Amino acid sequence: MNIIITHHLLYLALSVVTTIWVASTLHKHGRIFLVDAFHGNEKLADSVNHLLVVGFYLINVGFVVFAVKYGDRPTDFATMLESLGTKVGCVLLILGVMHFLNIYVFNTMRKNAVIRHAPPPVGPDAYVARH
Amino acid sequence: MKTLTILYDARCAMCRSIRVWLSQQAAYVPLIFVPLQDEHLEDRFPGIGALKPGEELIAIADTGEVWRGVNGWIMTLWALREYRNWSLRMSHPLLKPFARSICHGVSQNRLTISRWLFGHSPETAARLLAQPACEDGTCAR
Repeated sequence: MNIIITHHLLYLALSVVTTIWVASTLHKHGRIFLVDAFHGNEKLADSVNHLLVVGFYLINVGFVVFAVKYGDRPTDFATMLESLGTKVGCVLLILGVMHFLNIYVFNTMRKNAVIRHAPPPVGPDAYVARH
Repeated sequence: MKTLTILYDARCAMCRSIRVWLSQQAAYVPLIFVPLQDEHLEDRFPGIGALKPGEELIAIADTGEVWRGVNGWIMTLWALREYRNWSLRMSHPLLKPFARSICHGVSQNRLTISRWLFGHSPETAARLLAQPACEDGTCAR
């Protein structure tokens, strides 16, 4: 029993700490993308950034908590390490996918902003008097 | 740039359809359509005749810049909300030669294409003659 509790607690601690680390990285370094995407509107960028991080936490912590009971129950120290490896590895992969999804969202927002503010792509062929 | 004026051929059914479609799109820069048959064309845009508006589409900014042919099309798309990315794509050096030959070909054969696409049955012709192609009636026929 004791080893199962230890396993669950270690799994939760490792997964949640990694989630916090990834989320804070996204929060810190995604901001500049968003400020650019919203054309220097820092307030809006910070707001969207915060909302994205909240969604990120909800999905990841939700998955981590959900997955506590899945997998074989460890019987000794070796099986505990194995099970921990499988489960934390799974969480890391999910975090990786979520991370790239987030970057994709940031970049799409930035690209749309670039298109929206693009200057005329071709120079004029001639001029007429203004009327 | 506050407005972009598009000179189009009101005799050609395809051009009129494109004009209607363009006017229904959301735009960053409002489009104004002037048929090149407009008798005040030269007064409104002095020297425009030298650019041969009868040959290819012409786009004129309110600030006086004129774009002709493929550049006119690129600027028209650039003015539209949903198609600005297409204008950026079209103006890419790799795509522009193709875009240019397509625009040129379509402009040169616009009346033939109109005949293929919209037909010229006596009923259609009568209907076209009977109703003005745009609100103010200046671009009829």
